[in-house]
Amino acid sequence: MAASLDQKSPNVLLQSLCCRITGKSEAEVAHQFQYAVRVIGSNYAPTIERDEFLVSEKIKKEMVKQRREADAALFSELHRKLQTQGVLKHRWSVLYLLLSLCEDPRKPSPRLGSYGALFAQALPRDAHSTPFYCTRPQSLALSYGDRGPPSGATVVAGPPGGLSSTMGTSGISSLGMYTLNGPSPTPQSLLAGQPPAAGGPALGSRLAWALPVGSSPACALAPPSLRPPLGPVALNRSIRPRRDGDPNAEVTEGALVRDILYVFQGIDGKYIKMNLPDNCYKMDAKVVLCKSLRDTGSRLAELGWLHNKVRKYTDARSLDRAFGLVGQSFCASLHQELKEYYRLLSVLHSQLQVEEDQGVNLTVESSLTLKRLLVWTYDPKVRLKTLAALVDFCQGRKGGELASAVHAYGKTGDPQMRALVQHILSLVSHPILNFLYRWIYDGELEDTYHEFFVASDPNVKTDRLWHDKYSLRKSMIPSFITMDQAHKVLLIGKSINFLHQVCHDRTPPGKITPASKSADTPNDAAELLWDLEGAFQGKIDAAYFDTSKYLLDVLNRDYLLLDHLQAMRRYLLLGQGDFIRHLMDLLKPELARPATTLYQHNLTGILETAVRATNAQYDNAEILKRLDVRLLEVSPGSTGWDVFSLDYHVDGPIATVFTRECMGRYLRAFNFLWRAKRMEYTLTDIWKGQMCNAKLLKTMPELSGVLHQCHILASEMVHFIHQMQYYITFEVLECSWDELWNKVQQAQDLDHIITAHEVFLDTIISRCLLDSNSRSLLNQLRAIFNQIIEFQSAQDSLYRSALEELRLRLQYDEQRKQREAQGEWGVTAEQEMEEANRVREFQDTIPKMRSQLHILTHYYQGIVQQFLVLLMTSPDQSLRFLSFRLDFNEHYRAREPRLRASLGTTRGRRS
Amino acid sequence: MASGANANMNAVRETMDVLLEISRLLNTGLDMESLSICVRLCEQGINPEALSLVIKELRKASDSLKASDNSTN
Repeated sequence: MAASLDQKSPNVLLQSLCCRITGKSEAEVAHQFQYAVRVIGSNYAPTIERDEFLVSEKIKKEMVKQRREADAALFSELHRKLQTQGVLKHRWSVLYLLLSLCEDPRKPSPRLGSYGALFAQALPRDAHSTPFYCTRPQSLALSYGDRGPPSGATVVAGPPGGLSSTMGTSGISSLGMYTLNGPSPTPQSLLAGQPPAAGGPALGSRLAWALPVGSSPACALAPPSLRPPLGPVALNRSIRPRRDGDPNAEVTEGALVRDILYVFQGIDGKYIKMNLPDNCYKMDAKVVLCKSLRDTGSRLAELGWLHNKVRKYTDARSLDRAFGLVGQSFCASLHQELKEYYRLLSVLHSQLQVEEDQGVNLTVESSLTLKRLLVWTYDPKVRLKTLAALVDFCQGRKGGELASAVHAYGKTGDPQMRALVQHILSLVSHPILNFLYRWIYDGELEDTYHEFFVASDPNVKTDRLWHDKYSLRKSMIPSFITMDQAHKVLLIGKSINFLHQVCHDRTPPGKITPASKSADTPNDAAELLWDLEGAFQGKIDAAYFDTSKYLLDVLNRDYLLLDHLQAMRRYLLLGQGDFIRHLMDLLKPELARPATTLYQHNLTGILETAVRATNAQYDNAEILKRLDVRLLEVSPGSTGWDVFSLDYHVDGPIATVFTRECMGRYLRAFNFLWRAKRMEYTLTDIWKGQMCNAKLLKTMPELSGVLHQCHILASEMVHFIHQMQYYITFEVLECSWDELWNKVQQAQDLDHIITAHEVFLDTIISRCLLDSNSRSLLNQLRAIFNQIIEFQSAQDSLYRSALEELRLRLQYDEQRKQREAQGEWGVTAEQEMEEANRVREFQDTIPKMRSQLHILTHYYQGIVQQFLVLLMTSPDQSLRFLSFRLDFNEHYRAREPRLRASLGTTRGRRS
Repeated sequence: MASGANANMNAVRETMDVLLEISRLLNTGLDMESLSICVRLCEQGINPEALSLVIKELRKASDSLKASDNSTN
């Protein structure tokens, strides 16, 4: 038996089953067999758990329901026996089959029974009264099919004995039915009046099977609604007796209601179908129907269309993994709404079922009509409409953008709609808030689908982490989060990452921000959304404040950020006067040499000496070790002065503030300041020379004119350089520094410090004329500096020759005195001649010197005037003030007409 | 080998007896042969839901055929 069991194919088995049950030969049951194969083959999706235990429990329950407790015990005994034998592989399957074929022998439920009885009674009596029924006996099966297995099948399913017993009992209930309904509506028409329960595949095939043999297979396979109007028309005709006197053979409202309920789920009904070209549900034009019903039906059908739209979106998106978490939660929220909607539909369905089972017109006031549907579905329709609009609006969006879109829909005056959107929004924003909490409390970015508004660039190394690694995705910022908040959020996570990766600070995040409660439920998300200004802002602010403060503390405590800042000012911006002066003293002989002969190690040694000799030695060793000498690129002909530069090494966390660009700007500023300082230094030398030599050279009255000229020019230069130095020190450096220091003290996060520092450097660069706008000014200034250097060398050569001459004259006098003392002639005529010649020669050079000085002066003054003109036209107010100071006594103004004009106008403007 | 097959046959028979008993308890109206066919089908992995549907429909069809026979007669 077991062997043959395996050999037979399901088809053979099915066929023998067909023969067995119908009791006919194989040829006769061909139709039934085909049907059976189709039903089995169509995989008629199992709606049950594949669990033997559940099935057996169900069986027991069923028996208990039938008040057969003894049988239930017997069954569990048998079931246990079955389990011990283990011959069967699919015990649950067999049990399930038996359960579904089960029938209560004693008490058929009244609902099922009434139909069965109705039918059983009607069979013989009305068979002749309705000719339609006689010609098409299968329509019986058709209407049975509509009932579905639970109601229809049980009636006839039992063995002959069982059937007779049902008939016996149900005769009474059917009688009751008759008395209620009155005799006129025949039960058959009542049955036929119900349209087929629309189209699952099983039903289609059942119908096909029920059709006569002669009808073509294509016709047989077509779903009921597509068949030629034979069915409906026939039905209509059969209805006629009830809707007495209606000439137009209308579709009943009940049929329409049933149809509409299918349309609500997006399934084409019998009369109302999807019209693809118009993209809407349309009532079949051929159906005869009064206008108001048709209109109402069309209005109701909109619900189906809306449902389809939402459904299509969720179906398409829910499997798309790249759609991201936000998208998934959006789909989930839509699903939730749809589930509510389905619940309503199932309630409507069961209502319809109950009505049908009890007879349609039993209680008019509670029956389901299109108008009632219209009222009942009003709210769901509004909801679905909102959802559909939302779906339309959210098409192609994801992540924060999606949340923004949903949020935009929450701005409505309709409280119901707002509540709906708020609910969806709370679900949608939940993943975003989760990202956010992970980010601001742990600094971790778990954003696989790029939905969060903080983006991370994995290519950026740690040295640029603060500046380049993290950025805001503008499009992904949900509209309920302000730009300011987004920036703060970015900053918080960035600070945490910075602490971890750059500062190597391993403090657990919980210690930085005590309130790190990140496991929030959607409810929390919703609460936060209600209170965006309050709690949410408060949370972000608290996290921001704590994290930033901690970061700044770490930077100041462990990495001496502020100390480094001050060191920059003291060394690179020449704030430490004694050190710079001493360094210059030491470096002077070295720097006067050509640049190519300079060696870094020599200079480094000098630097160290300078540090040790001055107050700089008391500085932090950490700072001093970073101080270094740097030689700029050597161009031919440049001296040490041109290439020398101080350098400051920065690395680690502080390099985030002192970036490479910043250091470049510091170096440029240093070079400028160093040059200006050198001018001051040079002029001091010049002045010293003048003071020392003035007394000596008094003996040479022929020089007094030249020297006077020198003094005048030198004091002009000294005035200029003093004013420049004043300007640089007080107007530029100290003012900017004070501003920077205030800002740094008040800074709440690292970004504030960085910004303040950038502003500081920008101000210095532009005020020191180093930016591109004031290139011409800088060129004039350079020319002035060059003139000072030139003047120095001219004066040096002047003094050299003058002192040489003085020395010779003194020597001459000395010799004469010596000889006179020895009693000889003081000088010979020859010597006197020689001396007179030499003196004359020297005196001849004086006009040359004079003219050289004259040229120098003239040139210098020309440049200064040019410079003043440029200063006057400069947009920077402090530069204009500088020009007043440089020309306080209007010395240059008197010579330069352009200056006069511009000075006049500005002064006029000021007064 | 033969005894093994015998034992197997016995087990199968016993199982079928048990099933028949359950079927009787549940009043499914299946006789031994139909039941054994059904069990075989189920063992081959046929969806029991579909199978029960088929059986019901078959019964219905045979009834209606009989009924129509009666009425025409």
